[in-house]
Amino acid sequence: MRRVRRLKLILWLVTGLALAVAIARFLFGLGATTNLSDATPWGFWIGFDVMSGVALAAGGFVITGVCYIFKLERFHSIVRPAVLTAFLGYLAVAFGLLFDLGLPWNIWHMVIYWNPRSPLFEVGWCVMLYLTVLTLEFFPVPAEEFSALARVRRFLVRIRLPLVIVGIGLSTLHQSSLGSLFLIMPHHLHPLWYSPILPVLFFVSAVGLGMMMVMFESHSTAYLYRRKPETPLLARLGGLARWILLGYVVVRLVDLAARGQLRQLIAGGWQTWMFWFELAVMAIVPATLLFLPAVRNSRRAQWAVASMGVFGVVLNRVNVGGVVHFGRQSYLPAWTELAISAGVVSFAMLVFMWVVERFKVWEERPADPAAETRFLPEFDRLGMSWLGTPIAGARAVYSLAFVVAAALGFALINPQPAASRGVEPSPVHHALGGDVLFIDGNHDGFGVSMPHTSHQAHGDKDGCASCHHMNAPGDQNTGCHQCHQDMYMASDAFNHRWHASPHGAALECNDCHVSGKTRRAETAKVCGDCHTDLVPKGAPFEVKQYRAVGYVQAMHQLCIGCHAEMAQQMGVEDFARCSACHGQSTTPTTIEKLHQRRPQRASKRIVLPPY
Amino acid sequence: MQAAILTDTTKCIGCRQCVIACKRANNLEPDVPRRWALEDGLSARNWTSIEDRPDGKFVRKQCRHCLEPTCVSVCPVGALQKTSIGPVIYDGNKCMGCRYCMMACPYGIPRYDWDQTAPYVRKCILCYDRVKAGGQPACTEVCPTGATIFGDRSELLAIAHERVEKAPDTYIKKVWGEHEVGGTSVMYVSDTDLTFLTQGRELGNEPMPNRTKLAMNAVPFAFVGMATTMAGINWIIGRRMKLEREPEQASGRREDKNA
Repeated sequence: MRRVRRLKLILWLVTGLALAVAIARFLFGLGATTNLSDATPWGFWIGFDVMSGVALAAGGFVITGVCYIFKLERFHSIVRPAVLTAFLGYLAVAFGLLFDLGLPWNIWHMVIYWNPRSPLFEVGWCVMLYLTVLTLEFFPVPAEEFSALARVRRFLVRIRLPLVIVGIGLSTLHQSSLGSLFLIMPHHLHPLWYSPILPVLFFVSAVGLGMMMVMFESHSTAYLYRRKPETPLLARLGGLARWILLGYVVVRLVDLAARGQLRQLIAGGWQTWMFWFELAVMAIVPATLLFLPAVRNSRRAQWAVASMGVFGVVLNRVNVGGVVHFGRQSYLPAWTELAISAGVVSFAMLVFMWVVERFKVWEERPADPAAETRFLPEFDRLGMSWLGTPIAGARAVYSLAFVVAAALGFALINPQPAASRGVEPSPVHHALGGDVLFIDGNHDGFGVSMPHTSHQAHGDKDGCASCHHMNAPGDQNTGCHQCHQDMYMASDAFNHRWHASPHGAALECNDCHVSGKTRRAETAKVCGDCHTDLVPKGAPFEVKQYRAVGYVQAMHQLCIGCHAEMAQQMGVEDFARCSACHGQSTTPTTIEKLHQRRPQRASKRIVLPPY
Repeated sequence: MQAAILTDTTKCIGCRQCVIACKRANNLEPDVPRRWALEDGLSARNWTSIEDRPDGKFVRKQCRHCLEPTCVSVCPVGALQKTSIGPVIYDGNKCMGCRYCMMACPYGIPRYDWDQTAPYVRKCILCYDRVKAGGQPACTEVCPTGATIFGDRSELLAIAHERVEKAPDTYIKKVWGEHEVGGTSVMYVSDTDLTFLTQGRELGNEPMPNRTKLAMNAVPFAFVGMATTMAGINWIIGRRMKLEREPEQASGRREDKNA
């Protein structure tokens, strides 16, 4: 049982890591913990967990159909593991979807809010119903162990045939509807993948994959538990699968021909290579190999072919789910996304192993490898030695692995909810000039020539203060750039560090922050409460905040209001246009001329908005 | 009344008053460029944006409020609805966050609150409350040059055709949104090519929801057909096996008698 223990150890490690990531995902949100974006709203979780997960669980309906509908009784021995795989597969899909949904607590809304036009609505309902069917199909197995459930079990066995038929119907619907999801995005999908018969292609490949998955699962568990491999039976299954896979290849190529897209097969882009690789791995190579009797009847070859087919179909689903979409190539899944997916799969595998060890899924039940840990070591006085298993038995090791991996996950996660591409700061410099001021904060040469003299001459009695609305403490001539420090972004006009430093103003916290309130900028005193000389006499400003708006906004706020007013009073519309100040017509002379007609202006109070 | 917006790119000066008005009217918080944002300026907190085109033109981007909206048809819980007066609106209380609308929208309009732990889908709702009360959207109200105007769809269409016909040298001879994907409520007349709004691809005049209609209509038939076929096959095979077995049993019985 060393193989089982090793695998379980790895699975518990992965599950522990995923637990840490899962907690982070719900604490910090999707943006901080995944690489999903407005360009790629669906990522690895949809492509792998949902689309591939549902396809991988197709073994359930295929094998029950083969065994109970076509009455090929010899397949009976692989029905139970196949149904169990499907059952856990669908549970994993539903569980994994909870991480991807933005509002997972609303997942049940599909039950009460209906939109039958949506393929996703149909997929959701079918998965819900089929999960119920699978539960009823598998329930007789654990029910064998409890005599109290004998009547329920007998009833479920009696209705098995209708259950199987309903299960096949539901599977047909949602396996194909996963393809229908993409029918509505012809503008996203590459023409090699977009097809009006996507639902049919998805269904046929799911049937083929279902058989591959059963082969893969049967051989893997046979290796793991050292059971006798069911090679001859699986060879017959391979005999069925090859025809389905072959049919899939034919349908896909005929579909391309019918759509007139055959030239895409030799177009030579990376999509062409991807298409050929995908089709070869998922169908052409496995089908061809299964026609060779030597391959079909060999245990190793069967396992290899099945793995290849499974990988191919997963690749197909992930491709359709996002890889071959136009304009979405910049997305690569984050390690956190991969960890969650791996964790969900690992946990499903652990449950699978628990079920096969606990219940009669196969004819003979493998011994519980953890059973021995029930006996704690005891000191045997007769033999003068410790008997029993070592204290670090399997369960203790698994628990340790789980905890260590979870701790590692917490250590590795670095959520950055405010992750930003960043804004380039563009610092502002002193305006140049004297009589005519060239206002060009970022010195890029595109500025406004402001005739200072004429603005001076036509100001009212508090004229200066209407523009020079604030001075630094002790200063009489503070430049705009000293507070409005960035062209576009707001800047902080208050130097907190200097005020609090013992080498600066050396103020106590409570000198500015009112005691009893949270210490924030909004609840503190404002500059004007201490510095009474900040705002010159007659300035139409009140200081209510520490934040100075961006340079561009400050200049516009200062000029546009007056200009619009003047334009109305003078009847010169051009005076309020952007081009009056910006652009080539902005020579000092034209502005001077306009200014000579400027009447006296009543002063007006401007109140800056609260922080 | 079918509420609609007509944007004339020849009149747009790129002042972004509409962007600011939209943020004020819809109470949208300030935004900073994020990892998950696209270059077009739209985000969960910017429902409209002005794109600076390489040819020096400005193009306003917003939800097109299609007459047969793709987002409405794909939403599994019906959180997105096309109202009778035109706007496509969103009900966050129904949404479960599957983001199918974002994948399916041919114009790539809906955006997501990626930074929130309870994220919602965000897009322009054509100021539904204001329009319902008889007003007009904030963006068209503030536009200083009349580049983007509000009105009844048929009237705006008439205005659009009139403008294009009067100045055929200025305009490209087309009203964007008249027939595309079955028609949209937000339309454009332009002197610059607007196919960049759909990543350079022509969408055709067929409404997008028609593409899934066939598959979705086939659902009940597929289920009943598959179930009947399976039941039929099962019955036939069962019957055949029974017939194969019967002669043996019959002969077996005869032998018994003989014995």
